[in-house]
Amino acid sequence: MKKGKKFLVVVFLTLIACAFLLNACAKKEEEKEGVVYKLGLSLAITGPTSDAGNPYSKGVEDYFNYVNDTKMLGNDTIECIIKDDQYKTDITKRNFEDFLSNGIVLYLNYSTGSTLALKKDFDEEKIPTIPASFHAGNLVDSSYIFLPIASYSEQTVGLAEYVVNNHQGDMAKVAMFIHPSAFGRGPVEDLQKAVEAGLKMDIIEVVEHGKDLDNTAMLQRLLSKNVQYVICHTVQSPVATLLTDAERLGIAAKSFGESGKLTFLGVHYTGGNDLIALAGAASESFLWTTSYVLTSEPGKWTDKQLDLAKKYNRDDKTANSHNYTNGIMVAQVAAEVILRAKDKGLEITRDNLYKELLAMNGGNAFEPGSTVGPVTYSETDRAGVDQLQLYVVKDGVFTAVGSTFQSEYIKKIK
Amino acid sequence: MTYFFQLVVSGIVVGSIYALSALGFVLIYKSSRVLNIAHGQIIAAGAFITYALTVWAGIPIYISFVLSMIITFFLAMSVERIFLRRLIGEPIISVIMVTIGLMSILDGLIYLTPFGAENFSFPKFLPNTPILFGGVSISWTQLVGVIITILMIIGFSWFFKKSTMGISMRAVSDDQLASMSVGISVPKVFGLAWATAGLSAAAAGTILGNITGLNFDTLHAFGIIVFPVVILGGLDSVLGAVVAGIIMGLIQQFAKGYLDGNFGLYGTGQVLPYIILLVILLFKPHGLFGIHEIERV
Repeated sequence: MKKGKKFLVVVFLTLIACAFLLNACAKKEEEKEGVVYKLGLSLAITGPTSDAGNPYSKGVEDYFNYVNDTKMLGNDTIECIIKDDQYKTDITKRNFEDFLSNGIVLYLNYSTGSTLALKKDFDEEKIPTIPASFHAGNLVDSSYIFLPIASYSEQTVGLAEYVVNNHQGDMAKVAMFIHPSAFGRGPVEDLQKAVEAGLKMDIIEVVEHGKDLDNTAMLQRLLSKNVQYVICHTVQSPVATLLTDAERLGIAAKSFGESGKLTFLGVHYTGGNDLIALAGAASESFLWTTSYVLTSEPGKWTDKQLDLAKKYNRDDKTANSHNYTNGIMVAQVAAEVILRAKDKGLEITRDNLYKELLAMNGGNAFEPGSTVGPVTYSETDRAGVDQLQLYVVKDGVFTAVGSTFQSEYIKKIK
Repeated sequence: MTYFFQLVVSGIVVGSIYALSALGFVLIYKSSRVLNIAHGQIIAAGAFITYALTVWAGIPIYISFVLSMIITFFLAMSVERIFLRRLIGEPIISVIMVTIGLMSILDGLIYLTPFGAENFSFPKFLPNTPILFGGVSISWTQLVGVIITILMIIGFSWFFKKSTMGISMRAVSDDQLASMSVGISVPKVFGLAWATAGLSAAAAGTILGNITGLNFDTLHAFGIIVFPVVILGGLDSVLGAVVAGIIMGLIQQFAKGYLDGNFGLYGTGQVLPYIILLVILLFKPHGLFGIHEIERV
């Protein structure tokens, strides 16, 4: 071999050795720096329902910061891209497409409308999605949507069961006060099915509200029909006007089932501190159900949530909002499935996270602490927390009533 | 019969508040032929200013209500000065498009404050117990709302009929060129129209906020909700706004009281005003009290 050729071979081999060495160093560096897992959240930070969306986004943001700051995933980190969609489905779709091009592995959505509209996209993209909407219809003809807690239908039927179990006298007469949308109408049919299945109550009327300034006529009509309970499924503002009018007319029950008066009850988005802020003293005795632990209840979770809010400089209003808890909870679920997949040595992909979500049951159920029961998902159950807690406004704060419960009839009508 | 009278009272109360909310549209249209799409945002801003002065600055609500009207008066005047003054003489559609843009700007500005995404309620300053007349009930908040509405309507009616500035505003609305030729300052009139609309919006916002609580979405929606009132009454008629407001309020209450829940009907209170609006407009396209202009060429 000529001298020149020998030299070239040496150079070539040296280069290959250098390439291997660099590759090994890069891998080591990557291990040291960690991998970034991308997630996306599109929600109403401004626009309609931003009173819920704003603290929700802060909950998601703070919990992922906490995961990264405390190195919960070792050197790996979560980057959750949060975008405002102003409660407009077309913007949500655009945001979702942007997230996909950014390579997200899990998606957090918000409204009922956009979740229903993008349902097919989630299936086509095979991306696990956790919305802030608990509409049971989200789960129909879809495999990739996971509700954080019991559906609105389950909450409504659960409240109706509470009414039936605690009502004294003849059959309980109930009216529903709902939002005129898919979000509001969702549970009506399920409650009617529960009645057909044997739940002993009469649904006297279903009231779809508008931006009403005076509910006197409607309230008096309900009373004339001997209605005793009004189950609300809407947002806080119309409920606040309803409660204020009932208080003015002197027909709001001060205790459950008070004779000749109306007892008001509501599901998740009707209650919380925002209702008290809007209705003031008229919210007293309002009964509300959700699956979240409230900071008005002393306990381990309350301390943890308040510490988290303090750590990330949130004001008191945000720190004590159940929508902040709601945001934290979905972030907890997302972080937990990433952690579980990582512990198994799996690559963090949409498919693996989907499988981890479906495996979250039995001994693998997840106890986030922010909810009144464990989060469980399976092939046949994609509603997270099944337990519900009843709260009542007492002296200006929501206080737990009794222990947690689960709807029985929702299983019968499924 | 008590139920019937209750519906009448509720209808008049709701209608009066609609009329007050609609007044801002009329005041601007009357002098400039511009439909201010951002009126709902000004209503909300007025309510928030009253709240901020009352709760954060600790000023008694009666004073902060007046202060809020004064602030909104100047705020609306500045809006006109900054965004709309340059558009005098431009096609009306361009000005309306600017008010749509203005709506987005005001939305954005309000979202920068806590009022954008949080809920508040005014501290109670009126008795909680309702006023009862033979079984018919009305809250103090509603009664005060109706009184303020009546006072403002009387005030504005006097202003347009008797004051020099009011007559100038009517003249500008009639014919800008002719008004200028007799020495009326059209820009000044436009500024004042916006300012008075701001003043009425602050009053409407504070009354609405006392009834519904302070939620931005709910408050600014009234800018759209009262639209049928404005069209029905005639875009340029203060009296029309009052009559149409009360008609709408009564229709809503009677529909909710007698139709909803019967004959398998629900939500008629929301729909019926629009149906009646369409029917009336078929026969009176300029509204009940709107001026039917005939141009001779």
